[in-house]
Amino acid sequence: MIRIASVSRGWALALVFFATAMTPASGQVIAIQGGTVVPVSGPAIEGGTVLLRDGIIAAVGANVDVPGGATIVNATDRYVLPGLIDAMSYYGISGTDLNETSAPSTPQLRAIEAYYPFGAFSDGEAPAAPRSQDLLMGGVTTHYIAPADATVIGGQGAIVKAAAETYDGLIVREPAAIDITLGQRPAGTFSAGNRSPGTRMAVVAHLREQLVRAGEYQQQQDAWRALPEGERGAAPPRDLGMEALALMLSGEIPARIQANRTTEIREALQLAEEFGFRLILDSGVSADQLGDALNEAGVPVVLGPISHPFVSGEEIPDRDEYSNPDERRAARLQGSGVTFAIASFSRSFGSLGPSGSGKWLLLDAALAAGYGLTEAEVLRAVTLSAAEILGVDDRIGSLEVGKDGDVIILDGPPLSVTSWVERVFVDGVEVFVRD
Amino acid sequence: MHQGLGSIALKGSLTLTVSTALLLLGAARSLSAQDVALTGGVIHTADGDVFEGGTVVVRDGKVTAVGNDVTVPRGVPVVDVSGRTIIPGMLDNHSHIGFDVRDVNERSTTFTPRYRIMDVLSPDERYWFNAVDGGVTTIVTGPGSGSVSSGQSAVVKTWGAVWEDRILDPSGGLKIAMGAKRPHTETSMATTSMLRERLIKAQEYQAAQDAWRAGGEEGAPPPTNLDLEVLAGILRGENRIRAHVHSAHDILSLLRLKDDFDFGLTLHHATEAYKVADEIAARNVPVVGVPLFIRIGLVEEVMRAPAYLVEKGITFAFHTDDPVVMSKHQRYNAALAIRYGMAPEDALRALTINPATIAEVDDRVGSIEVGKDADLVVINGPWYELTSRVDLVYVDGRLAFDRATEEGR
Repeated sequence: MIRIASVSRGWALALVFFATAMTPASGQVIAIQGGTVVPVSGPAIEGGTVLLRDGIIAAVGANVDVPGGATIVNATDRYVLPGLIDAMSYYGISGTDLNETSAPSTPQLRAIEAYYPFGAFSDGEAPAAPRSQDLLMGGVTTHYIAPADATVIGGQGAIVKAAAETYDGLIVREPAAIDITLGQRPAGTFSAGNRSPGTRMAVVAHLREQLVRAGEYQQQQDAWRALPEGERGAAPPRDLGMEALALMLSGEIPARIQANRTTEIREALQLAEEFGFRLILDSGVSADQLGDALNEAGVPVVLGPISHPFVSGEEIPDRDEYSNPDERRAARLQGSGVTFAIASFSRSFGSLGPSGSGKWLLLDAALAAGYGLTEAEVLRAVTLSAAEILGVDDRIGSLEVGKDGDVIILDGPPLSVTSWVERVFVDGVEVFVRD
Repeated sequence: MHQGLGSIALKGSLTLTVSTALLLLGAARSLSAQDVALTGGVIHTADGDVFEGGTVVVRDGKVTAVGNDVTVPRGVPVVDVSGRTIIPGMLDNHSHIGFDVRDVNERSTTFTPRYRIMDVLSPDERYWFNAVDGGVTTIVTGPGSGSVSSGQSAVVKTWGAVWEDRILDPSGGLKIAMGAKRPHTETSMATTSMLRERLIKAQEYQAAQDAWRAGGEEGAPPPTNLDLEVLAGILRGENRIRAHVHSAHDILSLLRLKDDFDFGLTLHHATEAYKVADEIAARNVPVVGVPLFIRIGLVEEVMRAPAYLVEKGITFAFHTDDPVVMSKHQRYNAALAIRYGMAPEDALRALTINPATIAEVDDRVGSIEVGKDADLVVINGPWYELTSRVDLVYVDGRLAFDRATEEGR
């Protein structure tokens, strides 16, 4: 087994950008009153109140003192939930920017460089504050963006909010993970051009090679840095891709590996064990068949849509690759004790429209309630579990004191097809109201 | 393991080797089960009635009684479905299952009305079960939209003991597809022009045939042209055109062709139909609307279109275009139309009696009425909620899907 020594953490940290939340006018207080409050982190509260102060959740409960001067939002007969989190999407990235297929691996690429979901602004008007309207109307307040899955190492993903007062303010974390794909998708890309890696085997071998190189690169950097200043000589040349992979190998950011067949899921687990990186399994159409192994390894899963886990967005899905989707896979993972989220894997630009954007996230997840999950488990899979998997549950994912004021109000039971998101708050600012 | 008689037809497949005994047992039970009474459910007949706590009686695979004051004849097995919902077996008026997907489009040529999907349909194909499990019991399946006219569709049941009995119509409409079909046509104008020319040829062909017959069938008959035979049948009103179309201008082109040649027409997908709804309504042309299900990711105005088209008085039916959207998601198309403003009873009709009427098989299927095939779907909650599940599916009175067996509960 190859073991890679832990790399310098200080160096890694310097590359990770933690943005601060946007802040509404200081002292602003909003009280959302009278609704059924579903905090996700605890039981529902009938006729509860959620108090937002300075963009942060200040109180949640049945008996909350609302200070004078607070803006009152009446949520009677409504449901109050944390903003939803879409733990995997390609939303906001143009179709032509989704896949860099000039090389099998491009860990140096950053999804944030291609991210702009806000469309054309009307003539003559100054650009408004950024609002991902499609996502907000579905109650999604935070989403993960990634390079897409046509190559082996696509690049670096980011966690962004669906609304902010500035573009900088959208970013929650960047880079947030390295996005990797195993299996037929990348093999198909390169076999089509008679290039390598053109088989599933070659894909795995290529990935392992990249990881070995990254370990050696970091050792070289560390060795150079360990020398006394006067003896160092010229620094070894930098390699941005290897730097990004080194972040992953050091545990600073996780690897997100898309794998669907059990063979590829086992390969992902094997590589994580071998190289000691944190693994998030993406899509995982067959993950439920390896629930015990995933649970033992502590590897969470970001499932593709319950209804159509054909993650690569083609008009006619490749059922041979993704098998027949078993809608019970979420319930089986729940039974195995695996932490999982349900995500959209959506794109802005599908063959017929904004392919299954996050506005459908809750409707798709609702299907899982017919296939063995409880309502609470469904809601957790699009909120708190997603936040935990993304490593941002200190900020978002539930209605708890101290978390960001990301709150949605629905006009009916959350899993009913006739319920709509009426209002959305992000960081305590009302960013969406349904007409 | 998919239970049922349909799998008997899957001979030689993996299915049979996995559990032959189970299948045969299931088959034996189903064969003798064309009589059944479902009691206690909320019955939506799609014929204008809703019976709370009603009963449906099935004899020899046909509905013999439905309503609240129905006595179950002696000897008919009773299935209590109290608290559950019964709807007619759903139809899917535009699908591509039941044949090898590699056969969906002939690329070498672009105008082949003589092709019949019936010639490649097979009970052995995968994914029939996907329709049955979702409560879709009759489909119109056909060739694709890669050519200007790719051939004739067929109306078939998705399950049944005898393959031939599953065929309701082997020539269920001629598929044409609007828009450029490269390399044969480079623009949608050229496609429309080609259709117009072929329809004129069909008129001339018919005239030659008529003249030969009127002349006492003297001499050699005019040579047979299989493509023009099909078009001439359409012009005589014996068959109809199913048109793949998205843009408003192509819809208008079809309506002009209909005005000029007077043929039966349905608009399929018809993504922009809402933009020319008055023109469609004026000609009483049905719309088999683009799948709403969330994999497609339609924009808001297209999501609202089905409700709007129904308001305009247009006969509307849902479809999956399987494999684009899976057959078992057909019910969710209606659910989403309800979300976007369609009345639930209209949405149910768009899953059942409307597609049956469009496919001209409404004498057999599409509603729960005395004398019709006993194709019934039992759902464990409101039929249109995403959280509800199909529990039981009957085709011709036989149990084709039982969730409890399927999922081991």
